[in-house]
Amino acid sequence: MSILALIIEDDEDLANIFAEALRGVGFTVEHVTDGKVAQERLRNGEPPYLILLDMHIPHISGGDLLTNIIKKEEHLAKTIVIITTADARMGETYVEMADFVLIKPISFVQLRDLTSRLKPREE
Amino acid sequence: MKYVNAILTVPTTDPDDARRRRLLNIILMAALIASIIALIALILENIFDPRVIFSETQLLLGGIIVFTLGILGIYILNRRLRGRWAAWIFLILLTVIFLFTDSPGELVEGRSLFLFTIPIVMASMLLFPAASFVFAILSSVIVIVLSLSISVFPNVPAIIGFFLVALASWLSARSLEQTLLELRNINANLDHVVHERTQALAESLERERIEAGRNQAILNSIADGVIVFDRQWNATLANPAVRGMLEIPIELIIDKNFSELIEHPRLQPKSRGLLYAMMEQDTQPIGFRIEWGGKTLSVSAAQVYNRTENMGTVTVFRDFTREAEVEKLKSTFVAIVSHELRTPLNAILGYAEMFKEAVYGPMNDKQINMAERIMTNTQRLLGLINDLLNQAQMEAGKLTIKMAPFKTADLLDNLHAVMDKSATDKGLQLTSEIDSNLPDILSGDVERLHQITVNLVNNAIKFTNRGSIHVKLFQPYENKWGIEVSDTGAGIPESELPYVFDTFHQVEGTATRVHGGFGLGLSIVKQLVTLMNGEIKVRSIMEEGTTFIVTLPLVVPESLTNSGV
Repeated sequence: MSILALIIEDDEDLANIFAEALRGVGFTVEHVTDGKVAQERLRNGEPPYLILLDMHIPHISGGDLLTNIIKKEEHLAKTIVIITTADARMGETYVEMADFVLIKPISFVQLRDLTSRLKPREE
Repeated sequence: MKYVNAILTVPTTDPDDARRRRLLNIILMAALIASIIALIALILENIFDPRVIFSETQLLLGGIIVFTLGILGIYILNRRLRGRWAAWIFLILLTVIFLFTDSPGELVEGRSLFLFTIPIVMASMLLFPAASFVFAILSSVIVIVLSLSISVFPNVPAIIGFFLVALASWLSARSLEQTLLELRNINANLDHVVHERTQALAESLERERIEAGRNQAILNSIADGVIVFDRQWNATLANPAVRGMLEIPIELIIDKNFSELIEHPRLQPKSRGLLYAMMEQDTQPIGFRIEWGGKTLSVSAAQVYNRTENMGTVTVFRDFTREAEVEKLKSTFVAIVSHELRTPLNAILGYAEMFKEAVYGPMNDKQINMAERIMTNTQRLLGLINDLLNQAQMEAGKLTIKMAPFKTADLLDNLHAVMDKSATDKGLQLTSEIDSNLPDILSGDVERLHQITVNLVNNAIKFTNRGSIHVKLFQPYENKWGIEVSDTGAGIPESELPYVFDTFHQVEGTATRVHGGFGLGLSIVKQLVTLMNGEIKVRSIMEEGTTFIVTLPLVVPESLTNSGV
């Protein structure tokens, strides 16, 4: 059974690193770079087990996605949300809504270790 | 009255002389009136009573006419001659007249002797105080001569009486003169004072005029717009710069109420509230901004006091358009740098980690070592960017302190997590302790406190080549807590100690090349500590080490104090 992780991040390199970390732990990774696309994907697609959400993305900001979609859509209620931002203050603003807040720079090892702990135990 | 005054006035400048001669004129006038009345009485008496001996009447008439002429003559002398000649003549004349008013026998017996006291008294007034004695002597001589001429013993009590009258006149005249003299002195002093005051007033008025002219010139030439309002907020003064700034003619500002200016269509509605608040609360805000047309203006207001009386408000407008643009650019720049620089650095760091973690296959030791070096240098670069961003934020006044409860021990755990590696890499030991009396939970901005400890320890590691770095959290006073970071490094020369917290300063100026960094770390610490209402001190002994001590207000979270934890 594949466990789906959705990375919403406009920087290709960071997305790549995050994807490697998540794949390394055993996640199936899906990646979108744009707020609008992300909105569509979140509303209609298969609900991911985990979302890695960047706050600074084009068209619809990470904050709006979090407030208006992720927290409102019922089928996303169980999804684990990790937000990533370079702005510590912004992180604080959304700390209540997210399960984890990671402040950039985000370490590959740190992300790998964290997501490995979050992954559901294989029975 | 005007004519009477003209008649009585004498041409002299000496006040004493004038007074005496005026007095003489008055006496002469009185005598003249008396002689005219006598003349009229004499004529009337002769009309109704023709039995009176004609020759005697003729003699009396002649006497009165001569007396009248004499008085007129003396009056002319009094006006023409200088000094007291007229008075002398008058008094002697009077004495002589009295001599002939009665027969010698009757005169000596005393019936008319009192007449002689008149010139004695007058002399002290008309001539000089002691002159009464001269006439007392004259009268005495007359009495003696008369007595001898009719072979009777001189009337001694009369003579003594003359001298007593003279004495009394002398004393009273003298005291009068003295009083007058004092009065004159007082007057003279008063005149002097009045003159001086007038002079001073004239000078100060002149000074004020010059000052006002100068102030006007200054006001006209400064680039800041100035409007002066009275207590009712009506504009009383505006300089040319304000015209250019607000693009309104000065006539449309002067005498208008401030509220009219606030309602001007060119003022952005969102700026109105600020100006109304300034007007209504009578506060003295400094440098708030308003949007006027396409311009950003900085407004400062100060109330003007004359002693304790509020005279109104001076409002200064400064064109802040350019600065506002620059500031906006700066914060945009800061935001861009914050995001755009950190993101690629994060990527470098991530890829280096992936190498190190051998994500794409096994790596040899050299390759892992290189990956680690990439990571270390990237971390350093990130640290520098953070420092620069912090500095920029602080300069823009955007950095704020957010108070929240935190576990005291977490501060040290986080510090160790970040700094242990740097210390061990350099062969140093990083140790820490918490004073047992320090509360387990404190209130503060944990992120900024972390930054303070990291910067201090980072600095200590930079300047220490062997030994250890010790961090202590303690409670020096009941209402304070502190962070102490001590190292066993090279120390800071005493001459450099005052400058260690300066922006872009490094000890000896050469340290940058050896140790890297911008020298912002301690400056940021100092600014953060100041923002937290704390203070930082440094003490150092060369070749032994340096200790930085931060003291901060101790705030125990309210919920904890309430529940008694």
